Amino acid sequence: MVCGISGSMWLGDLERTARKAARWLVERTPIRSLRDWGIAFSLWPVHFTTACCGAEFAAASAPRFDAERFGFLPFVAPRQCNLMLIEGTLTKKMADAAIWVYEQMPEPKFVIAMGACAIDGGIFWNSYNIVRPKDILPVEVFIPGCPPRPEAVARAVIKLQKRIRRGEAIGLKV
Amino acid sequence: MSEEEHVLELLIGPQHPASGHMRLVAKVDGDVVVSLRPDIGYVHRTVEKLAETKNYIQIIPLIERPPLADTANHNLGYVLALERLLGIEAPPRAQWLRTLLAEMTRIHSHFYGLGIHGIMLGSSTAFMWAFWDREIMIELAQRLTGARLTYSYMIPGGVRRDLPPGFEDEMDKALRYLERRIPDYHKIFFDNPVTRARLEGVGVLRREDAIRLGIVGPNLRASGVPYDVRKVDPYCAYPELDFNVVTREEGDSLARMMVRVGEIRESINMIRQILKKMPDGPILEERYLKMIPPKWKEWMAQHRRIKLPAALISLRPPKGEAVARVEAARGEAVYYIVSDGSPKPYRFRVVSPSIRNVVLFEHLIRNCRVADIPAIYGSLDYFPPEADR
Repeated sequence: MVCGISGSMWLGDLERTARKAARWLVERTPIRSLRDWGIAFSLWPVHFTTACCGAEFAAASAPRFDAERFGFLPFVAPRQCNLMLIEGTLTKKMADAAIWVYEQMPEPKFVIAMGACAIDGGIFWNSYNIVRPKDILPVEVFIPGCPPRPEAVARAVIKLQKRIRRGEAIGLKV
Repeated sequence: MSEEEHVLELLIGPQHPASGHMRLVAKVDGDVVVSLRPDIGYVHRTVEKLAETKNYIQIIPLIERPPLADTANHNLGYVLALERLLGIEAPPRAQWLRTLLAEMTRIHSHFYGLGIHGIMLGSSTAFMWAFWDREIMIELAQRLTGARLTYSYMIPGGVRRDLPPGFEDEMDKALRYLERRIPDYHKIFFDNPVTRARLEGVGVLRREDAIRLGIVGPNLRASGVPYDVRKVDPYCAYPELDFNVVTREEGDSLARMMVRVGEIRESINMIRQILKKMPDGPILEERYLKMIPPKWKEWMAQHRRIKLPAALISLRPPKGEAVARVEAARGEAVYYIVSDGSPKPYRFRVVSPSIRNVVLFEHLIRNCRVADIPAIYGSLDYFPPEADR
């Protein structure tokens, strides 16, 4: 068999080398900052309402607070989204779905935990049916409040954008 | 092909624009939904069990979390049950303030339902408009109580704050704006041929079925049953208010939506009457008012709000049980408390309107198209956290 592009011991694995070179190039400063700038302004949260904070999340993307000016566009399917907001309490039944949805999202992907319940249980801290999101997902930003005001959601988005542009976000390192 | 090969099982949710916090298990034959089973419990946060570990006053914020867009009515239901247990009654001005906040909450909760229904039908305009108009009532409620949604405004024996200065004028402006706004909604959304085609005659709930299934709230009234707890078992200031129970005969999705719009109009009229007729006086029951030291009484008069008396924090109701029901925005809410004389309830039970309406999914979404699922779901104004508690 004549040497194909892949698997040949003389030519080396061209495809793998090309992928490596591309990754190296993307990680260099000018391209990397351009990429991070692009990611920071296209944070699309997936439509995944876990609990009652969803009402304030909806208000954040509605006219008065208009989070879309930060490039924050709620979208329907996990395959097109790169941001997941845990909106309040995560019950055991919902946690399975949360992991499932998170795994379907393309990388780089980020998680924001919204509300006191998503930090450490909040008012439901001693409930038998809740999960702390930080135990199952790599959370970037926590938003305190019960429920947090829509301004707090906007602030969290700005904070995440800063983390991405500084290269500190956990989602970028995976 | 055999029968089984025709029918597919389709799982909708919990990650789906038209599912909310639940999963809908639909059996579909082509584009026709043969049967649909809602899989609830995704937001079950054990409110009833947690209430047994908390003091009576701590339960107020707890029961506000499940029905988030409609907090004041549920707060009122719990406080009424607790007051019955304690054998006290709030002074008249507090009763009227409670009614005022309950009606404001009803308006913004109905706008929330309308907006969500709009986005489920694919009408972003309806969502944007409804969520903007909702903010007006939220802003006014914030001036009255200090919070956007979770007010914790009603406490046993009264309310936390009096009307802020200039509230009547602001409210008058807001109500005139909302009244001007509703015809606009008719033009762009309610009378839109697309909306009509998607909602008219879809998901018809007949009068006898609605009664048999125990449906409550606007969903029941849209089927022609004039049942409203505010009329049947009046509480607070409702006996002195002049209002109509909005009903429709059709029982389809459009009727359910239009009942909510009618209720927004009625609530606007009621708020006008409340602000006109509100009596003067204290906003806390005398028994608790006596416990406040004179220095704090001056502070209360200056800031138009109360200082929470220490007796409320470790409340010990006598042994017994009490039940209260209110007409929340989504329907009748029932609160039941059993006390064993300790600072924590022995048993606490909530029957929220959403759990009574969940049966409609199975009943209405049958032999319709897949595209009708969001059209019917949205019209029910079903809020899963409220049902799962």
